[in-house]
Amino acid sequence: MFRRSKEALIGGIIALGILLMAAVVTVADLLGVRITPYDPIQQNVGPPLAPPSLLHLMGTDNLGRDLLSRIIVATPNDVAVSLAVVGVALAIGTIIGSVAAFRGGLLDEALMRFTDVIFALPALVLACAIGVTLGPGVTNMMVALMIIWWPPYTRLARGEALRVAHQNYIEAARLSGMGTARILFKHVFRSILLTLLIYATLDIGTVILVYSGLSYLGLSVRPPQPDWGEMVSSYQDYLITAPWLPVIPGFIIALGVIAFSLLGDGIRDALEAR
Amino acid sequence: MVYATLLRPDEVAPLITVRDLTVNYASRGGAVTALDRVSLDIKENELLGVVGESGCGKSTLALAMIGLLPIPPAQVQNGAIEFKETDLVQLGPTRMREYRGTQIAMIFQEPLSSLNPVYKIGDQIAEAITIKKMREDGYSTVDSEIMQKTHKVVPPGVSKLPRAKRKIKAEIKEEVIASLKLVRIPDPDQVIDRYPFELSGGMRQRVMIAMALSQEPALLIADEPTTALDVTTQAQVLKLMKELMNKVKTSILLITHDLAVACQVADRVAVMYAGDIVETSNVYDLFSKPLHPYTQGLLSCLPTGSKRKIVLKPIPGSVPDLRTPIIGCKYESRCPYAMKSCSEKKPHLVEVEADHKVACYLHG
Amino acid sequence: MRQMEAILETVDLKKYFPVQRGINPFSKSRKFVRAVDGVNMTLWKGTTLAVVGESGCGKTTLARTIALLTKPTSGDVIFNGKSIVNGKTETRVVYRDLQIVFQDPESSLDPNITVGASIGEPLFGLMKWSKETVDNAIKKSLEVVGLPHDIADRLPGQLSGGQKQRVAIARAIGPQPKLVILDEPTSALDASVQAQILRLLLELQKEYSLSYMLITHNIAVAEYLSDFMLVMYSGDVVEYGQTEEIMAKPRHPYTIALISSAPIANPWKRNLLQVDIRGEVPSAINPPTGCKFHPRCPYAESICSQERPTLREISPGRLVACHFVEKTA
Repeated sequence: MFRRSKEALIGGIIALGILLMAAVVTVADLLGVRITPYDPIQQNVGPPLAPPSLLHLMGTDNLGRDLLSRIIVATPNDVAVSLAVVGVALAIGTIIGSVAAFRGGLLDEALMRFTDVIFALPALVLACAIGVTLGPGVTNMMVALMIIWWPPYTRLARGEALRVAHQNYIEAARLSGMGTARILFKHVFRSILLTLLIYATLDIGTVILVYSGLSYLGLSVRPPQPDWGEMVSSYQDYLITAPWLPVIPGFIIALGVIAFSLLGDGIRDALEAR
Repeated sequence: MVYATLLRPDEVAPLITVRDLTVNYASRGGAVTALDRVSLDIKENELLGVVGESGCGKSTLALAMIGLLPIPPAQVQNGAIEFKETDLVQLGPTRMREYRGTQIAMIFQEPLSSLNPVYKIGDQIAEAITIKKMREDGYSTVDSEIMQKTHKVVPPGVSKLPRAKRKIKAEIKEEVIASLKLVRIPDPDQVIDRYPFELSGGMRQRVMIAMALSQEPALLIADEPTTALDVTTQAQVLKLMKELMNKVKTSILLITHDLAVACQVADRVAVMYAGDIVETSNVYDLFSKPLHPYTQGLLSCLPTGSKRKIVLKPIPGSVPDLRTPIIGCKYESRCPYAMKSCSEKKPHLVEVEADHKVACYLHG
Repeated sequence: MRQMEAILETVDLKKYFPVQRGINPFSKSRKFVRAVDGVNMTLWKGTTLAVVGESGCGKTTLARTIALLTKPTSGDVIFNGKSIVNGKTETRVVYRDLQIVFQDPESSLDPNITVGASIGEPLFGLMKWSKETVDNAIKKSLEVVGLPHDIADRLPGQLSGGQKQRVAIARAIGPQPKLVILDEPTSALDASVQAQILRLLLELQKEYSLSYMLITHNIAVAEYLSDFMLVMYSGDVVEYGQTEEIMAKPRHPYTIALISSAPIANPWKRNLLQVDIRGEVPSAINPPTGCKFHPRCPYAESICSQERPTLREISPGRLVACHFVEKTA
């Protein structure tokens, strides 16, 4: 599959690495085992504002905490949020879009207008509103994003489902006594899932970016819990004096986005070439 | 390089001769030989029908003759196409433009994709007529494009207004309406202001014929021009093409999968199978004395009456996969008369009777 | 004449499609595409009825309405003696006896599902058989259409057009239907493959006493395969009768033009160049008044633009809808 593009291969490896890291950290957390070189919230494990060295591969922050450990431990946040949001958006969008395409008529109109309304809601404003009402937190931000992330999937799913709806094998399925729901599950989803999955893979990177933005704004974790976006925010004053502090988390975010985007590109190229 | 043709004293030199043309396509499973040493000729003012089923190479032949083969996957391995003492295969793409659309014109199966959807019908025909006028005035079509771009020279008859605002000049408009009348389009003065999507399939195909014939080409290649049309429309368009052929003194190369269509309008017919021409003949002899077993098979599997009266004899088997090279005659696996020599060496196209050639060991 | 039993009848069947004006989904349309404009027809058991016509004549919509894939606007469809429209009979019961073979072999099989699964789909959905019974039935169906058993595990993409069409036929006859609608079954196939499929269809009809409704624009195929012919033009039936009679002497001016336009594979019978038909198929939203064919008819007179002709029996079993049918005698 990755014969075609080296970038996709590299992207895929990095993305896989990130996913693996998130899994490992989560499991370690459940088991109560620490896998990072230092305790990520322990202060003064090293001299404060120490630049990257062999002892602290990414240096230390203003409170003497090891940056590398914090980065590692923060991985599941972004990964979990992006996978969950995209997964839920994919599920909601596929179902609403396919049902709208197949039922047509007023139901189609109603569902799509509702989709348009949700689509018009700005992510950041809604997230802030939720942050204010429900309080900040990773889960709350995840929910906020889930609420507004699915409309593009609906549009895509509806378009793909319409394309499939007029194929003769769908009519043959009706002639086999199958109802709309069974036809959707047996025939339609299989045909449209590919396109949707490609879009979803490319979308993971976008969610990482948006979530990082939200946590930068302070709507996600509360210190001392580490989170990539939050780190960029709280270390930004040290841009001149200790540049590794804001730059490295920012770079890791960018790496994540690029890696998943390249992976999505590669999958799309490989499948379109078929 | 020009080959001298040996003609009988009563024979006229053909308009265009294809000689041993071999075209390969690079595909995922391997190279496919779409045309395997194909030779045929078209005389002046005749309608040659090339008949064959899907994958036989007839469209490749048409594209090769007009120089529209997609050259990265396709590759002309060998052979020549002689037209007016020039070998078209040797011409590069730039020089081929002198011929394409002007001396050799082509119309395709789906006119909706041949006509530009954002320009009016009248404008598109006017463009074709303008090019012809420029040729008559001595501008080559290639030179004129360069002249337009570099020196901002506008050829005669073309308005100097930007494209969107351009109204067709009066004298061109006359010719545009005349060409629409030639193809029997009703209300031509209204049609010139319409867009392609407003016309029916039959009308669009007539517009294509009008545009192609406005150049007064020596050869018109028609690739399945009526396959996408209704039966009655097909009859009208074929009848029109036959009439115009005599009026405009063009030859027509008609590519079709429908042997019945060829029987109706062709003067001569060439039958293709899996990249080979297996038989060429005038249409009457082909029908009454088909020599190649494939031609015979094709004729006996066409429904020509009620099930109570005729028995259809389908040809057993299927067309061979051209990705694996085949030694010998490609029809051998389905042929009821296959002999030992058939699987050893491919038979050449040999003239067995006057103007009746066949590639089969049954006949020499 | 032996007593014939009707397996399918339509009574003044109409299917109109509303044309939406503007973007308001709630506005009631005032314009309709009259795809099927009052069709009365009968299909006799064990015979083949060819429904012929050109694009826009409504033959495909007629077939789909009869098969309950769309709801009729008005009128009745009587299948096996029972009315099947408006939910009066459960579709599952209808489809055990009524199946369709579609035109395009590429789109009639789900490319993501094996051939065997496609053939088994109606059997699981309609017959309530056990898996074992279905598997045996699939094998039998493949044999009957001349395909090897192992093709059941392949995906449609690995099959040729002719093979796919055979699979489609196998799927349709699996539930042992009484009526099979053939929607342009050979239009997408090469001539040699077409002959194989036509012969197969004839054999199956004899073997299983099937009735066929053949939708086609190919007159040669219609002539070969059918016993009766129904000629449609712009949503109306213009002629009906035994195929041999109609081919020998068509009476409706449109039928005459249609049959004489069909290319004959015989260079001594150049009918095509004698054809004299003008004009184009009319708009389905704004059809001509009176007889829809009158603007193109060489025999039209003033009444033709005022009054719509009804189907009249001009000889036993022969119906024509024309005010001046005597002119074509």
